[in-house]
Amino acid sequence: MNNNKIYPIYFTFGMLFIYSIFVFLPGLIGIFYSFTDWNSFSDELNFIGLENYKTILKGDPIYLFYIGNTVKFTLLTTIIKTLIGFVLALVMINKNVRFRNIHRTIIFSPQVLSFLIVGLIFRSILHPSKGFLNTTLEAMNLGFLAKNWLGSIDWAFFSVIAVDIWKGVGYIMVVLIAGLNSIPQIYHEVAQIDGAGFFRRIIHITIPLLMPSITVVTVLNITYGLRVFDSIYVLTNGGPGYATGVVNTAVFKEFSKGRFGLGTAMSSLLFLFILLISYFLIKGLNKKAVEY
Amino acid sequence: MKSSKCHIMAIMLLIPFLMFANGQNEKKSNSKPTVITFGSHQSGLPSSGIVQEIAKEYEKETGIKIEFQIVPDAQWRDLLKVKLNAGEAPDIFCADADPFSLYDRIRPDINCVDVTNEEFTSRMDKSVLPGISYNGSVYGITFPGPKIWYYFYNKEIFNNLGLEAPTSYAEFKAVSQKIKDAGITPVYEALQNGWHQVLPLFETGPYYEELEPGLYDKLNNNKMNVRKLAKLEEIITQLNEFAQLGFYGDDFMSNSVEGDFEAIANGEAAMVLEGYGWGQQLMQDYPEMKGKLGFFVMPWGDNQTIGINPGSNAYFANKRSENAQAALDFFAYLAKPENLEKRLAGDPQALNICWPEASSKMPPEYSAYYDAHKKGNVMQYGVKYIDTQWMDVGQDLEAMYVGAMTPADVMDSISRRRDEQATIQKDPAWVK
Repeated sequence: MNNNKIYPIYFTFGMLFIYSIFVFLPGLIGIFYSFTDWNSFSDELNFIGLENYKTILKGDPIYLFYIGNTVKFTLLTTIIKTLIGFVLALVMINKNVRFRNIHRTIIFSPQVLSFLIVGLIFRSILHPSKGFLNTTLEAMNLGFLAKNWLGSIDWAFFSVIAVDIWKGVGYIMVVLIAGLNSIPQIYHEVAQIDGAGFFRRIIHITIPLLMPSITVVTVLNITYGLRVFDSIYVLTNGGPGYATGVVNTAVFKEFSKGRFGLGTAMSSLLFLFILLISYFLIKGLNKKAVEY
Repeated sequence: MKSSKCHIMAIMLLIPFLMFANGQNEKKSNSKPTVITFGSHQSGLPSSGIVQEIAKEYEKETGIKIEFQIVPDAQWRDLLKVKLNAGEAPDIFCADADPFSLYDRIRPDINCVDVTNEEFTSRMDKSVLPGISYNGSVYGITFPGPKIWYYFYNKEIFNNLGLEAPTSYAEFKAVSQKIKDAGITPVYEALQNGWHQVLPLFETGPYYEELEPGLYDKLNNNKMNVRKLAKLEEIITQLNEFAQLGFYGDDFMSNSVEGDFEAIANGEAAMVLEGYGWGQQLMQDYPEMKGKLGFFVMPWGDNQTIGINPGSNAYFANKRSENAQAALDFFAYLAKPENLEKRLAGDPQALNICWPEASSKMPPEYSAYYDAHKKGNVMQYGVKYIDTQWMDVGQDLEAMYVGAMTPADVMDSISRRRDEQATIQKDPAWVK
């Protein structure tokens, strides 16, 4: 690719215009509404300052709990998806693996399934007495490992995370495979001649050269994790009790109660948080990228 | 060669566009058949599928298709409100209706077609009209008769263990313990649907009112806080005790209400709290259960009063829909005398419907039991800001069962949500 070839800036105007109208402007309007008492029971709109934000940050502690759950979900899914995706990508570019494309397709396929279907399937699989997982464990004399996966406060959150990882890891693998394929083989060959083992090559060659792809998947995972809604909605609906509730399930709840102002305040907090974290993440991780 | 490949590719790319354009022309030339979307939760339509059958007959007669969109109970209330607020609700939608929560739930004045002057409205039982009315106008059509919930029990299990139907909490607990000791789940409870666990709290409302006359008025006028309702807290504590004693079995957090037929018929569980027509459906699906089913009033907090809920789910025509008139025509079709009878006959769980012209299927033993007990309207029908938080209370109870909340926390939550809802709606009894 010719890096010196610069396209004129007006090439971006069309896309920027569409993005601004349909993505950025609604976000700004949402921030405006978050300072009002907008609700479904009145046509009046009153400015109430930071009242909605105070309710979230200082009112009912459940909101902070939801924010904590969202961060926990994001961190765990980002780290685990990236690690498993990376390992799978390494295996799936190995030429000794037979039927690689079939394996790749199978691992990627959950990504294209609707979360509604995934939710129905896993609610059945994870049923404590009739579900496939526990009955299989019982059949293998591993009954002590059987749990109430979605109904226990200790396991529900991790079960949701596990299902989300199962669904999303194939996509991460595909992005990382593309990244791995773009690393010239010569670096590995030279390092091998110099006596570098598999793990040294991974740490000193593969990971630094894969940094642009890792940046992409990290940003995608983090922004997805912070916005998570569907996987939790279909698997536990935020339960048992409130154990798996996250910011977006709370936003949905507030909208269903007709408290739009409070709902938009929560969305606005999330919007700003995602904006900031994405900016610093891209900036930080790009510094670590290696040119070759 | 390269150029011909380019041409082939260009033609292939053009094919979908040409097909799309052709399709557009076809659409213009043939007028599309009307499709009415009908959104409901699982419990909003008879599980026998009789409404869908009547809809198919309607399609045969008129060519108008009714497309049902059925959503799990636990998600429907929130989803419907979000869809209404976003202007994306289906042409017909089903909602639970009672006089105090109708406005809060669906804002009928802005979302629903006024059916006050429709012919079918005059034929509905007058007692159900408050549940589907707002500011003197009727907005919906409803079919189910009054709802009553009993504990149904497997007489065979009770007889084998020498047990009698309990009439107090102490007896209920003792009976459950003996059943559990026999290796059977005493009570089939199901939290997956999100609403079933809440029934004991508010279906016992007439009993609270009996203990403290004028209670509903006091609560509605904010002269008393629901937090002070000691009997309610006592029942919540008893529910928790049942869960901790294992009387609901191991799977109750993952069970769904629909699974209760199998659990009772197979003898896995001995008792279940169900609507009073449930027994008829069970005996139809499991004929071997004939004569083996008994029932009793829920004895939580030593209650012996039958709670009646005159309100039930109702269907509303979306005012903003272009198919609003077609939806009303479908309502009129459902309300035809022959279709009312068909509906009643086709739904084993319905013992009657709220249309005086339709016959009743009430078995004599049900009527005798009903007549022998005191009765009154349930709390969600008589007290403001209760029914609207039904699913939230369900979540509170779930949290209590897993140890994340105490009965006192649940009481606080119910009270807080009442205050929130009253304040946001600027209820004069709350906002001075």
